[in-house]
Amino acid sequence: MTTTTLDAPAWAPSTTLRSGSGYWLTAYRTMLRWHLSSLRMWLFLLVMIQIMFGVGYVLGFALFFHEIPRTAALWVSTGTPVLNLILLGMLLGPQLVAGFKQQGGYDFVKALPVPRTASAAAWYTVTLIGGIPGMVITLLVAQVRYHPGFTVSPMVFPATLLIVFTGTMIGYALAHAITNPMTTQLVTQALVFAAMGFAPILFPAKQMPTWLASVNEWLPLGHMATIMRDVLTDGLVTDVGRAYLVVSVWGVVCGWLAVRALGRRR
Amino acid sequence: MSAATNTMDVVTPMGTVVRRGPAAWVRGFTDMMRFEWANIRPWAGLVFIVQIMMGVGMALMYGFFYPTVDETTALLITTGVPTLALIPMGFVLIPNSVVTQRMAGTFDFIWSLPVPRSAQVSASFVVNAALALPGTALALLVGKWRYGVDLHLSALLVPAVLLSTVMCVAVGYGMALLVTNPLVVNLITNALVFIVLLFTPIVYPASNLPTVMMRIHEVLPFYPMAQVIRAGLTEGIVTDVGGPFLVIGVWTLLGTGLTAWAVGRRH
Repeated sequence: MTTTTLDAPAWAPSTTLRSGSGYWLTAYRTMLRWHLSSLRMWLFLLVMIQIMFGVGYVLGFALFFHEIPRTAALWVSTGTPVLNLILLGMLLGPQLVAGFKQQGGYDFVKALPVPRTASAAAWYTVTLIGGIPGMVITLLVAQVRYHPGFTVSPMVFPATLLIVFTGTMIGYALAHAITNPMTTQLVTQALVFAAMGFAPILFPAKQMPTWLASVNEWLPLGHMATIMRDVLTDGLVTDVGRAYLVVSVWGVVCGWLAVRALGRRR
Repeated sequence: MSAATNTMDVVTPMGTVVRRGPAAWVRGFTDMMRFEWANIRPWAGLVFIVQIMMGVGMALMYGFFYPTVDETTALLITTGVPTLALIPMGFVLIPNSVVTQRMAGTFDFIWSLPVPRSAQVSASFVVNAALALPGTALALLVGKWRYGVDLHLSALLVPAVLLSTVMCVAVGYGMALLVTNPLVVNLITNALVFIVLLFTPIVYPASNLPTVMMRIHEVLPFYPMAQVIRAGLTEGIVTDVGGPFLVIGVWTLLGTGLTAWAVGRRH
């Protein structure tokens, strides 16, 4: 008797695999709504914190000098927006996922019937939404405070997209490829610390020891700032080809690692 | 029914005598130190490393900010970093550990232990300070090595560091006990770190600040802390330590008072 009921459940879900671009887009939209509604008021608060952080850094950096030199002002004005763009994806993203893992909600999110790339793309969109207002306001304040003479090129749009992409994918890889949430927390904290003090984002690389500058040649953070300087100023930096290359490679590799880790079976 | 009453009568009630006096306090204090240490032990290595990284990291990082690090800047960075290394212990680690205890539900359990609460607070102070001080010392050494600064250590350093540590812990504890919402505590600690790292004249001279901010920092605890610790490490840089000591003393009393009040009340 029980067997007959099981044989023909009226509510059986479809067993065919859904695929195709239409399905991908629906999944992307759903995941975007999922992320936005799970952050809700948080997103607003985060944007506020981002703005305060950016403005605070731009204004606070001047206090380290009796009279801030023009170059230092220019470097901090063009470096802080990079921090604005990557903090959400690189710091908060992994910590949210680590929290999910600790609370046991991670498997549920992982089991949602959406393509992994759609899920990643939706999260990327959220980090864009969270990062750009901070960047814009930081730049406005920098302009008012230092008059650094920005010359904004149209390349600012692809550059912003690329920087956020790589930052988010690094965070995404840390969140999903590292299984222990404690390790993720620790690595992201160290990463942010490194971004503020040990990568040439807020100050020129020549103010660091030579070996540290050479290490940074292979890491994405300093190059993100180079890209930002290239699109915001005229002639401050050269050799941007390498910067674009390094940042893109890091973004793609980390994205691949993350998406692969998301699909791993246990 | 009557049998049950009889049984109740025979059971000797446990510990109805309130233990008090210095011996009981010391006993409670050592027990709570062991308890605290057992609690923190899985993380102790990590906390230790983070403290060292923060201290040493900042000693190096601030040097990168300047195109050239001249003698005055080097001296300010080297003697400011120990202050910076002490602040997170009191204002970040302790509030966060109280928050974690509250969220895990162990907070009420610990409070219910039959130990004087002042002994509990003192024990947690000693354990946390022991974790923070090595990082502080190492930060100073690394700064000295990196910038080749000549330091003149004086006896003033001992009360300066001790009072500063007590102040940080007391204010941090008071804040964590009074603000019960974990989210708000988190927000306050993060905002404080940001303010301390950028907007407080610890590694740069106070004259870089606008006058209004300078006045504000004279009554906040962080700048006076930097002054007294610097006075213990150098000669002739800081002329007046009476004022800063007074400010830190007032903050210590305030923090201790708040902690004592929060610890002593029932809910």
